[in-house]
Amino acid sequence: MSRKRDQDQVVRFSGPERVQHFMVMLLFTVLALTGFPQKYHDAGWARFLVNTVGGIGEMRFVHRTAGLLFAGLALIHLTTAIAAVLAGRSSLGMVPTRKDFQDTVTTLRYYLRLSDVRAKFDRFDYREKFEYWGIVIGGLIMIVTGFVLLFPIMVTQVLPGEVVPAAKVAHSNEGLMAFLVVITWHIYNVHFAPEVFPFNKTIFTGKIDRERMRHEHALEYARRFPEDAGDRGSGTPTAENKTEDK
Amino acid sequence: MRVASAAAVLLGLGPSVPAEAATTPAPGAAEEAEGCLTCHSDETLSLQMDSGETASLVMKPEVLAGSVHKALRCTDCHAGLDEVPHAERPHKNLAQWKTSFSEVCKTCHFDNYTKTLDSVHYGLQARGDAFAPNCVKCHGSHEMTKPAQPRSRISQTCATCHEGIYAKYARSVHGKALIEDGNQDVPVCTDCHRSHDIAGTKDRAWLMKTPALCGRCHADEKLMGKYGLSTAVLSSYLADFHGTTAGFGPGRKDAGDQRLVALCVDCHGIHDIAKVKDPSSSVFRTNLAKTCAKCHANASANFPAAWLSHYEPTFSHAPLVFSVRLFYRFIIPFIVGGLILQILLHLWRVVVNR
Repeated sequence: MSRKRDQDQVVRFSGPERVQHFMVMLLFTVLALTGFPQKYHDAGWARFLVNTVGGIGEMRFVHRTAGLLFAGLALIHLTTAIAAVLAGRSSLGMVPTRKDFQDTVTTLRYYLRLSDVRAKFDRFDYREKFEYWGIVIGGLIMIVTGFVLLFPIMVTQVLPGEVVPAAKVAHSNEGLMAFLVVITWHIYNVHFAPEVFPFNKTIFTGKIDRERMRHEHALEYARRFPEDAGDRGSGTPTAENKTEDK
Repeated sequence: MRVASAAAVLLGLGPSVPAEAATTPAPGAAEEAEGCLTCHSDETLSLQMDSGETASLVMKPEVLAGSVHKALRCTDCHAGLDEVPHAERPHKNLAQWKTSFSEVCKTCHFDNYTKTLDSVHYGLQARGDAFAPNCVKCHGSHEMTKPAQPRSRISQTCATCHEGIYAKYARSVHGKALIEDGNQDVPVCTDCHRSHDIAGTKDRAWLMKTPALCGRCHADEKLMGKYGLSTAVLSSYLADFHGTTAGFGPGRKDAGDQRLVALCVDCHGIHDIAKVKDPSSSVFRTNLAKTCAKCHANASANFPAAWLSHYEPTFSHAPLVFSVRLFYRFIIPFIVGGLILQILLHLWRVVVNR
């Protein structure tokens, strides 16, 4: 797709990426709704939810089905991502770099009014990378520990029994952490942050406002639209001025 | 303990004897008894049933003298016999004759009588089982004393029919303590099975209350303290997979007689419960794999360690579980707190900029 210089919006996410986000969102919600009643089984709301789906057996069935779908989704995502890297088709935009740590420090210094310099971001800023790798690593922990809990007999044929309660502790806590990160950090960044309030629709529509891209992803913008970047002096437009629709 | 007290209420173990009626002598009781004994001290007096069975009609005053009912009039129980000689009344057989007295007991002991209607024993009686217990079979008649004096008598009463179970119980940690040491803390049959509304052993509503039932004693700190036993057994069970499942109870689609999940008795045994440190115990370390395999067919020798034996994970006992738990105890507040702090800082800077 060619660049859309004269339009207000720029394509940021591909169809498959948007579908994947939607699936993660859906499965995450189902997994949380069917997982927490098992963790907080004594609570009244847990009983209510369990009774609503018909019983603990039914709830576990839904949770396991959603978990297997999540594992499938992760498999598709990781194999396509690795294949893209190996084929040299990936922009490697999600790979954490030294600059991300510098950006973190710069941003925190800005927040604390120690400086007025704002970090300029490329395709993905450090917050987005943090969330991405958080869900990849956290997701893998959930998948592996979930597998141990679903097949304890099989797993203990080769591994010591203690991995089962350890997997339970990890699954339960990792799930709680993921939930807390999503309802605070993610919801803030895409809904409540003053820059995006009330709703950053980019992951659903795939498009980002040109003006917002210039602000939030200045380096990527300068690379993709070098002729527009001069007046803002943002970053150094790179030599590889290639057109991507990602 | 919430669970335990709920169980006590459900089990209906409260006293229900109309004590006053039994201690204040009924007016004219002695005189009336004298009249009855004119005939009923005759050793040869007997009742002929339609079935050919006979029942002795002798009443020994010294037997009644030791009874809780000694203050009652004969006709309080044996109603409709004012006319002497009594009118002919046909009786099918001995069992039916004795059962008919349950209707007599009901006039005073209505609550307990009503409870028996829900019992597995009444179910047998209703189906015409001549051996099914009724009031008199367990409590006796003229010799009736308080059933729990001494307490061990309760289990012996049940043993009249349930001889094999009693033998097992007598060898268990509970039975031994009761029978050999006269321990009054251990459960007798009725503590778990209830007395009048005894449920069938496949009654799931009752079975699923097992954790609360055992927990009534085993989660009681004062009581367990006496024996150096942990009271965390109930909470640790409920926190784990089996206990959570049991706690939620059956779902809409579960069949009525389905067991669902391992309860206390599935691992520890029922009437043959032994001390955990007794090598014959089903939960003794070397027997565990076999016990787990009762439900988990292909469980390896590693599998029993998947259950932390009611212990809280410690560094020496379960280092992996302990470490994972410790890790999250720090990482969750660190990550989530850090992110919230960053949100607040961001908002603060936005406000300052304005």
